[in-house]
Amino acid sequence: MIELRDVRKSFGDLKAVDGVSLSAGAGEIFGLLGPNGAGKSTTIRMILKILAPDSGSILFNDKPISEEDKPRIGYMPEERGLYRKVKIGEMLLYLASLKDADPASSARRLDEWLERFGLLPWKRRTPEELSKGMAQKAQFIAAVLHDPEFIFLDEPFSGLDPVSTDMLREAVLELAKKGKTVLFSTHNMEVAEKICSRILIIDHGRAVVSGVLADIKGRHGKNSVSVEFDGELDTARLTRLGSIISRFPRFVEMELAEGTSAQEVLAALVGTVSIRRFEEVAPSLHSIFVQIVGKAERGGPEARA
Amino acid sequence: MRGARLWKIIRMEFRLTAVNRAFLILTILGPFLISAVTVLPGLLSTRGGLGGNAELKIAIANADPRFLEGLRAPFTQNRIRVFEVRGDAPSLDAEVLAGRFDGYLILPDDLTEATRLRFVSRNVSDIRLVGVLQGVMGQAVVALRLAEAGVLPEKIASLTRPPVIEARQIAASGEKQDRDFLQLLMTGLTLGMLLYMTVLLYGQTIGRSVLNEKTSKTVEIMLSSVSPVELMFGKILGKAAASILQYGVWVSMTSLFLKLLGPRFGVSISLGGGPWALAFLVLFFLLAFFLYCSLFAALGAASQDEQNLSQLTWPLIMFLVVPIVMISATIMSPSAPVIVVMSLFPLTAPLVMFLRILVGAAAPWEILASIGILLATIAAVIVLSAKIFRIGLLMGGRRFRLGEVLRWIRS
Repeated sequence: MIELRDVRKSFGDLKAVDGVSLSAGAGEIFGLLGPNGAGKSTTIRMILKILAPDSGSILFNDKPISEEDKPRIGYMPEERGLYRKVKIGEMLLYLASLKDADPASSARRLDEWLERFGLLPWKRRTPEELSKGMAQKAQFIAAVLHDPEFIFLDEPFSGLDPVSTDMLREAVLELAKKGKTVLFSTHNMEVAEKICSRILIIDHGRAVVSGVLADIKGRHGKNSVSVEFDGELDTARLTRLGSIISRFPRFVEMELAEGTSAQEVLAALVGTVSIRRFEEVAPSLHSIFVQIVGKAERGGPEARA
Repeated sequence: MRGARLWKIIRMEFRLTAVNRAFLILTILGPFLISAVTVLPGLLSTRGGLGGNAELKIAIANADPRFLEGLRAPFTQNRIRVFEVRGDAPSLDAEVLAGRFDGYLILPDDLTEATRLRFVSRNVSDIRLVGVLQGVMGQAVVALRLAEAGVLPEKIASLTRPPVIEARQIAASGEKQDRDFLQLLMTGLTLGMLLYMTVLLYGQTIGRSVLNEKTSKTVEIMLSSVSPVELMFGKILGKAAASILQYGVWVSMTSLFLKLLGPRFGVSISLGGGPWALAFLVLFFLLAFFLYCSLFAALGAASQDEQNLSQLTWPLIMFLVVPIVMISATIMSPSAPVIVVMSLFPLTAPLVMFLRILVGAAAPWEILASIGILLATIAAVIVLSAKIFRIGLLMGGRRFRLGEVLRWIRS
């Protein structure tokens, strides 16, 4: 069980993390979502004690984290880095040994993980010889090789091809099944949607949405429809009934205004376009994210890259 | 701090430094380079400059033939041949410029009254030649004067030989030792140059290694396992162990070379002061080494790139150079207040305190205080660099101001 209570951190005038609370238990996969610069990495660094929070508390199994907890934690930083001149196998075993792992069992697990990610032939090569995707998988192994209880992954999926993304996603799911607590940050909503049980969307350092994914979808997805059609759509007809979340030439997804029913939208569309599919849907995490963060972005005093 | 983890970091850093081709090659070639550097200057200065054994030709005009005859033997001993010539300054100038002679002297008519003789040469910076001229001509003229004053010729030789001064140092124990200034100077220079070379070579390496840890992004994953202080201590101790190993190989191989080959080339190294001095030399060398290594680590932690690092390091180098420049002042007045302060101030202490011990001017409490201050400073600098390291790296690539660094240190 890991718990953050009202954690804050400022760098000078910049409030990097502004009152974030979350909790994740054993066997849970927690997604920390947010745009670039939202405060995700800062939050993870504080959990790992690399940075000290200005206020608030961070608890591991109800106790503040101490140096002794470090072996129970696995971490994959956003900035990947392994010693360039050291062979992959040796480097990974070194990192595991710093976590006080038993050398024999980490050696066994190393081969299993390398095999699983197809990296076994690269065991005696240096990181310089690895492709970016391979280096990233090696970095993931560094986070889990010592069999930690808590696993923190900062943007683990960024820059991976679909096959590698699937491999990593499967591995994360498996770790959760074994009772590990996994917390990862991402802006890849598709992956988050598939594997997270709980999420927290953070923007400008503030938690904007948090909770169990299904609840969040329920809350934000009630009055939403998606339509596939042929023909010229007059969006002016629809904006009276709600706000458009995504719009493509032959597809539109919209959130309905208070008191508007899906039938009214259907009625407005009939006769203007030829409807191929009409569906009342829970919006994707992607659209929830765009909707919430997009709003904040438009309303916020400063825009960020 | 955990001993087991620290040990693992030390081992990895040692391995990263020592187990690569460049290090091995340098370790093996080093002694040859050092020997070359040590033996060559000796060869050059004892064999009469770059000209090697070439005989110098000196023309002497207006000399009494019998007087000149007396000069031949002592000059020949110094590989100088004298020629009796006639002519005035302009014609002799031409001869020297034409290269027929290396230089000339025109003796005045009243040689016994002369207070100065002018030697003209194309190269007056050959100190050895000028020294020989001074000695031989000086003694010959004094002998001439004595002969004129009626002293018997057989007595002149013993009358003109001045006594040689032998300096003996008295220690607190009442024990007296033969000691001369030159030997002390050489001993001081030995430690000074050892420190200077070592710090330039290895200090930079450690600074770069800490910097690399930042730029290669390994640091975050390291810090999720170990504390910054463990990482710093591990890096410094591991790298230092590799350096000391390499240095040990160099020093022992070089001294073996010099012992075997040195006498043949007329080069000898000897440290003034016996085994105790050697023990202090090693002690202060190690203290200085670790102090500067940790300072370089701190600088590596505070800089963002190599260029930045080398800019930051020059003030440190100054602290190494100043005591070397002051070696003779330290030996001559080892109890001057400035020198005493420098022997306690950590950055200058190792060399200055060592010299004061060598000349017997340091009280036991001063030695202990100096060692204590050095040890405390080393520990403080490592902890400090860990702090700068941890905060500096998470600030990203921003350039930071002094005020900011001070704020980090306080936080």
